[in-house]
Amino acid sequence: MASKLASFWNHPAGPKTIFFWAPAMKWGISFINILDFQKPPEMISFNQQAALTTSAVIWCRYSVVIVPKNYNLAAVNMLMAATGIYQMQRKIRHDNAMSEGPKIKR
Amino acid sequence: MAAMKAFWNSPVGPKTTHFWGPVANWGFVAAGLADMKKPPELLSGNMTGAMCVYSALFMRFAWMVQPRNYLLLACHAANESVQLYQFNRWYNGPATPVEAKDE
Repeated sequence: MASKLASFWNHPAGPKTIFFWAPAMKWGISFINILDFQKPPEMISFNQQAALTTSAVIWCRYSVVIVPKNYNLAAVNMLMAATGIYQMQRKIRHDNAMSEGPKIKR
Repeated sequence: MAAMKAFWNSPVGPKTTHFWGPVANWGFVAAGLADMKKPPELLSGNMTGAMCVYSALFMRFAWMVQPRNYLLLACHAANESVQLYQFNRWYNGPATPVEAKDE
């Protein structure tokens, strides 16, 4: 148990390095987006959600193409894409309901 | 011509993920720039603040990763600037105070 912890702690991509914390923080973006589900749809930035979703989808693909495959990175980007898509559809539905034809206030 | 060939075949060139991942992240910069004309009340302080931390960490990541990824570094440096600017706009609120409604 102790040696497993030690090898994790001292790993070249472990918690003493940026290779751990930068991807770890990426989970935070998805959680913040989930927090923002509570916000009214007028406050959603379609541009920003589209940027999040596009980037997440591309990174999902590439995290399983790189060597070694990084399933943690794939997972965080799948969640990010899902939250982005959810926010975009909230925005689209709201803006459609507010006006006659399909129109998105970006 | 030789420079273009070198770029095309580079280990961080357009045939590799080291190129397209960072290119995708320029979307954040574009979205941030497009949102500059939005009134500050419509910005998400949560998301903008998270982007500031995210890009700061990934600037360091891009510097330390092997091979060093200058494109990713540039992308996150740009995003950091845009997001800090937007965060400041959100934090300071509208330029003129909103009138309080009379009861």
